Amino acid sequence: MKVLAAFWLRFLVLAAFVMIAGFVFVRGQSPAIKVVDLIPASLSGETNQDSEPFLAVQAVNPQIMVASAFTPNPFSASGNAPVYISEDGGVTWVLSAITPVQRMTCDITHAMPTGENHPRGDLHAGTLACASFITLDESESNDVSASAVMNVQSTRTNVDQPFVRALGISNTDHIYIGLNDFNQPNGHTATVDVSVDGGATYKSVPIEARKTSGQDGPSVRPAVAGDNTVYAAFFGWRKFNGTVATSDVVVVRDDTGGAGPNPFQALKDPSDKLPGRIVVQRVSIPWSNAATLGQERVGSTLSIAVDPNNSSTVYVGWADHGSKGDIYTLHVRRSTDRGVTWSKADLPHATIRNATNIALAVANNGTVGLLYQQLSGGRWVTHIVQSRDAFATVQDLILASVPANTPAQQFLPYLGDYDYLLAVGNEFRGVFCANNTPDLANFPQGVTYQRAADFSTKTLSDGSGNPVAISIDPFYFSVPVKP
Amino acid sequence: MNTSRFFLAGILGVNLLGAAALPQATSNQAALAKQSSIVFAGTVSQLGATSFAGVPKSAQTIVVRVDSVLKKPSAVSLKRGDNVTVEVKDPSTFREGTQATFYTDGWIFGSGVAVKELGHEFRAGSGEAPKPGGADEKAYQQTQEQIGDQELQDRLKSADFVVIGRVTDVHRWTVPKSGVPQRVSEHDPDWHEAVVEVQSVLKGAQVKGNKVVVRFPARNDVAWVHSPKFAKNQQGIFCLNRDQTSGMSTEKVGGRQVTVYTCLGHGDSLPMSDAPRVRTLLKN
Repeated sequence: MKVLAAFWLRFLVLAAFVMIAGFVFVRGQSPAIKVVDLIPASLSGETNQDSEPFLAVQAVNPQIMVASAFTPNPFSASGNAPVYISEDGGVTWVLSAITPVQRMTCDITHAMPTGENHPRGDLHAGTLACASFITLDESESNDVSASAVMNVQSTRTNVDQPFVRALGISNTDHIYIGLNDFNQPNGHTATVDVSVDGGATYKSVPIEARKTSGQDGPSVRPAVAGDNTVYAAFFGWRKFNGTVATSDVVVVRDDTGGAGPNPFQALKDPSDKLPGRIVVQRVSIPWSNAATLGQERVGSTLSIAVDPNNSSTVYVGWADHGSKGDIYTLHVRRSTDRGVTWSKADLPHATIRNATNIALAVANNGTVGLLYQQLSGGRWVTHIVQSRDAFATVQDLILASVPANTPAQQFLPYLGDYDYLLAVGNEFRGVFCANNTPDLANFPQGVTYQRAADFSTKTLSDGSGNPVAISIDPFYFSVPVKP
Repeated sequence: MNTSRFFLAGILGVNLLGAAALPQATSNQAALAKQSSIVFAGTVSQLGATSFAGVPKSAQTIVVRVDSVLKKPSAVSLKRGDNVTVEVKDPSTFREGTQATFYTDGWIFGSGVAVKELGHEFRAGSGEAPKPGGADEKAYQQTQEQIGDQELQDRLKSADFVVIGRVTDVHRWTVPKSGVPQRVSEHDPDWHEAVVEVQSVLKGAQVKGNKVVVRFPARNDVAWVHSPKFAKNQQGIFCLNRDQTSGMSTEKVGGRQVTVYTCLGHGDSLPMSDAPRVRTLLKN
């Protein structure tokens, strides 16, 4: 009897281990890497093109995260546009309609610094509402889980592509929103809205100093280091003929968090002594507001990242026409002297053809992360690349490789005009959008779906057994920082 | 109208079935159903609780087991036996085991559904859940049709003009150099103009020359994805407002300056089959 009991005990322990292991290695996922489809189980019937993702991580408690996409309010055309919220480090997500925009935003980015000590906030968002006028709202939530609609702190029209970064300093949130502001005079539209009082007041700072074609490119990207150094990168459009922008890639810097009397003028270019260091001059950037790279449009892909512990090291990445026969090529360059000089050529392994949605981030140990999406062999392939030596050697992981021709585009952008990457402790966390076919072969690092999905038949259902069409979903991921 | 007849028959059916439980209420119920995005019958299983993580628990939140779903958006996964968190207006009204029909709006969507109560009706003493395909469900399906009417009625009220017409020409609007500043953005609407030959004016004054110019965004950008697009020979009902969006509210047509209209909202362009419905709604 004792032998039999011992056998059954061992059997049960083994069975329990197998069950636990089954849960841990969800859908083939290694325990260190997490890829999660954000659509919740209770919205299993949705078929929206949930493109252009973004992510904010609470600085003090990184279990709290907010993600967004072009996801409409699921129950009301007049209700508020929603965001995705996780309180468990990205394992599960809920959708809550808290933005100040009706139904669906047509641009949204956000950040969650913790200068003001709100345990489940402080979320600062820049949203565009596109009913008839395009309206920017700069808004705040002190508790993203309370489900209250965000408080609008500042609003105006005639701007494009707000891009929010923030840093908590001395119990105050410093917020930097890069945007293309058509209200600025002389075509100097590249602008950073700066708030050093948690969003109570914003000051619009034009950062373009040179003659433009009438405006700058849509992407204006700030980056903030822990020592209050703020960089911003933008496309200085020098000529535009309707299909090609001849553009400088320009980086400005401020050493006092944008709070001084002449912000963002710390870097001067040696060629003309004007503020703003020209990283590359007069590159050709294709502008196509139609399906051009697969089903995606092209025209303004830009990212900048600063080492959080060494603000002298800064990376900038962009896309331009590249070489002959190529549609859109990514480039990454680096400065190690606070943006004064830049690598003369692309960093090794950092010229990437037929790709878009570049996002850079630098971890605490100096490892740089590069997220991008490449059209390759009829598939959209999402890469996360890491390097400790300025891309001389790299670790390249494919997060997703999905068919590029399905589903059919509902609108543009198909995947997004951007995706996003952040460094959080010893992880890179980010978001990207992709075809949501539940096929493990499409997700080499594994994947977890919250929505009803059958990986054996590679089909989605509405939770009641009815089939649901494939669509574009936002995916959250976390990968360990290369030591 | 068939829809109205079915709706009234459904409501009557509900009242006959549950006369004791619904002493007043037909019009109240219809109004609530119109406002609600999710309507279900259920049994209260927990007070001061929530059914899934991510929903803020309070004295106002209760968990209700779904007995039948009467109305929901197609994207929402909700079925009999699911537990729903309801933030109720007055928690003292409910006890564990209370059976009611809940009129709600969506709130939080996660592993389950959380909703906010707009109203409720007790199903006192019946002990029976409304069955799918039963009178309740029919009634609410028809009510759901009426919600479309409600939204359309609101839209008709806010329109300057409602016309039946045919599109005789579509062309790109060339912005005059002296006019609107040229801005390049992904959200550029790529304004086009449709010339609509007016066959009948349902709302607004008679149109001079029987033609109106409707400016519309041809771009398939996210900003304009819900705006109607026009094609030559298209016939339909159009809800029009004077153009306050493109930056120029007039246009020269046939040598004279005319007012330009826009038709930007989802549902501003309707098929001819909706004509009787629109006429009825405009009369109310």
